[in-house]
Amino acid sequence: MAEEYDLKTDELIVRKWRNKSTLGAQGTWQVEVGEPLAGPVTSSDSEVIKENCSNPVFMRKDTKTSFQWRIRNLPYPKDVFSVSVEPSERCIIIKTSNKKYYKKFTVVDLDRSQLPLDGSALSFTHANNTLIVSYKKPKEILTLEQELMKELKKLKGTGDGDVDCKTQ
Amino acid sequence: MAIEVEMATTKVPEVRDITRIERIGAHSHIRGLGLDDALEPRQVSQGMVGQLASRRAAGVILEMIKDGHIAGRAVLIAGQPGTGKTAIAMGIAQSLGPDTPFTALAGSEIFSLEMSKTEALSQAFRKAIGVRIKEETEIIEGEVVEIQIDRPATGTGAKVGKLTLKTTEMETVYDLGNKMIDSLSKEKVQAGDVITIDKATGKISKLGRSFTRARDYDAMGAQTQFVQCPEGELQKRKEVVHTVSLHEIDVINSRTQGFLALFSGDTGEIKSEVREQINAKVCEWREEGKAEIIPGVLFIDEVHMLDMECFSFLNRALESDLSPVLIMATNRGITRIRGTNYQSPHGIPIDLLDRLLIIATSPYTEKETRQILKIRCEEEDVELSEEAHTVLTRIGMETSLRYAIQLISTAGLVCRKRKGTEVQVEDIKRVYSLFLDEARSSQYMKEYQDSFLFNETQTGQMDTS
Repeated sequence: MAEEYDLKTDELIVRKWRNKSTLGAQGTWQVEVGEPLAGPVTSSDSEVIKENCSNPVFMRKDTKTSFQWRIRNLPYPKDVFSVSVEPSERCIIIKTSNKKYYKKFTVVDLDRSQLPLDGSALSFTHANNTLIVSYKKPKEILTLEQELMKELKKLKGTGDGDVDCKTQ
Repeated sequence: MAIEVEMATTKVPEVRDITRIERIGAHSHIRGLGLDDALEPRQVSQGMVGQLASRRAAGVILEMIKDGHIAGRAVLIAGQPGTGKTAIAMGIAQSLGPDTPFTALAGSEIFSLEMSKTEALSQAFRKAIGVRIKEETEIIEGEVVEIQIDRPATGTGAKVGKLTLKTTEMETVYDLGNKMIDSLSKEKVQAGDVITIDKATGKISKLGRSFTRARDYDAMGAQTQFVQCPEGELQKRKEVVHTVSLHEIDVINSRTQGFLALFSGDTGEIKSEVREQINAKVCEWREEGKAEIIPGVLFIDEVHMLDMECFSFLNRALESDLSPVLIMATNRGITRIRGTNYQSPHGIPIDLLDRLLIIATSPYTEKETRQILKIRCEEEDVELSEEAHTVLTRIGMETSLRYAIQLISTAGLVCRKRKGTEVQVEDIKRVYSLFLDEARSSQYMKEYQDSFLFNETQTGQMDTS
């Protein structure tokens, strides 16, 4: 797991995971928070199948007080969307009445601290072809993040510019 | 510039089928061991002729392999040249089916400058052990709304394609690579089909046609199945079971990590620590019920080409409980063991011979030879007249079966050149005079030895052992 924080505002910019597959091969980075990785396009990539760039792009970008998800490239009016909580499956569902977009996702932070999902904490807005879904962070998460921040402050950041790379 | 070609439901342009052209090999007529359910060999079946006792023995070995409990047994198929040793091994491979690993190599293949002999043997051993394991993969499942393929105006170059898929809840447009375009047109996927695509490998499988298209009666076979349009998200994670060999797991885990992987081309030697770790891991998986070990078969042809070091390695390797069933074949009698000055039966040390079950093959009778030649004629698509068949059988008995088989396609060609449809005795005579067999060639050598180059060096025979 790797996390990146803004040094000035203490905001979480990126959190990503990388796991080994069952057979031991190194997997690719799975981005939990922040911009999806856009690696260099290699020739083998174009061999198979991938989403067209005009499709909606789903990403998570948190603020201080809430978890926030942004879905870009959704050029439909606001009343098309409906966002709801599914407590039995512990996930949030985004639906569209014109059947163009559907997404089921979990709030991993809540799963990790085993907190319940609350429908009243959920809200969404739509502007500039982007749907923004917000979920207010519960108290437990806020205190946990404050403690984590204190720990992180103790770490010494590296200086500006490039980090020294040991030559092989 | 690209011309856009909209594809209508019924007008999928036919692409030349990308099927492998199968060539006819020496043993391509073998489809199994030709045994019945009680393991009794049939006289002629599945491309096999005669060798009843050895086929029966091979059938018993086959049952043992299928059972999968016994590890590290070794079998030697010994017999004169051209008595069907390799054919029996191929028969075993064919009857095992595609799920059991079968690795075949010739004894001389392990001598390489890049790899030590024992490493090559270890790799071959590990290729012959399969592991069935569950893995999670990402699949895309949905109903095809539209396929659109753009071809460059010049007719050559990369094609670009778009595929729109939907579920009951959503719709997504995908960009297609060249490989995907080819396999989509090969599978004849059209709008209204419900398909799944494995995202990593790009494998497409058609589930059926969507119920919403049930009214279009065009282009529909009797076996067309109607299915519901999938629900929920297009991308799903799904567990699939597949078989990999231990060697493949070794390679995955021994790749140099990071950018250094770019510079180390092939796998080369695999560290023994990596192998030990993987053995431990696989045993752990098996105990947890996550994986199943499928011991396969390692077939070493011309096993007398191995030397003393390899034989002692084999002795040791067969004792491991992760070893496959080893089948070897040789056509040597009592000869020198490679790498020593000792003589031994089959050129194999006595201590290894002691661990082997030996199957002997015997020369074919005239009737069997005739039968084999008939099968090969069918395989090579050559029509033979009755007399020509008799003549060819005689040639097969007096020279060798292989020589007679070689004459089939050559005689077929001669016959076609004179615009005949059936190979006659004349054609056989023609090729018999054109191509020498081993005995006639040796005879010729003896007669004209003096006029060949370097004839003064007549010391000793060629050393092949």
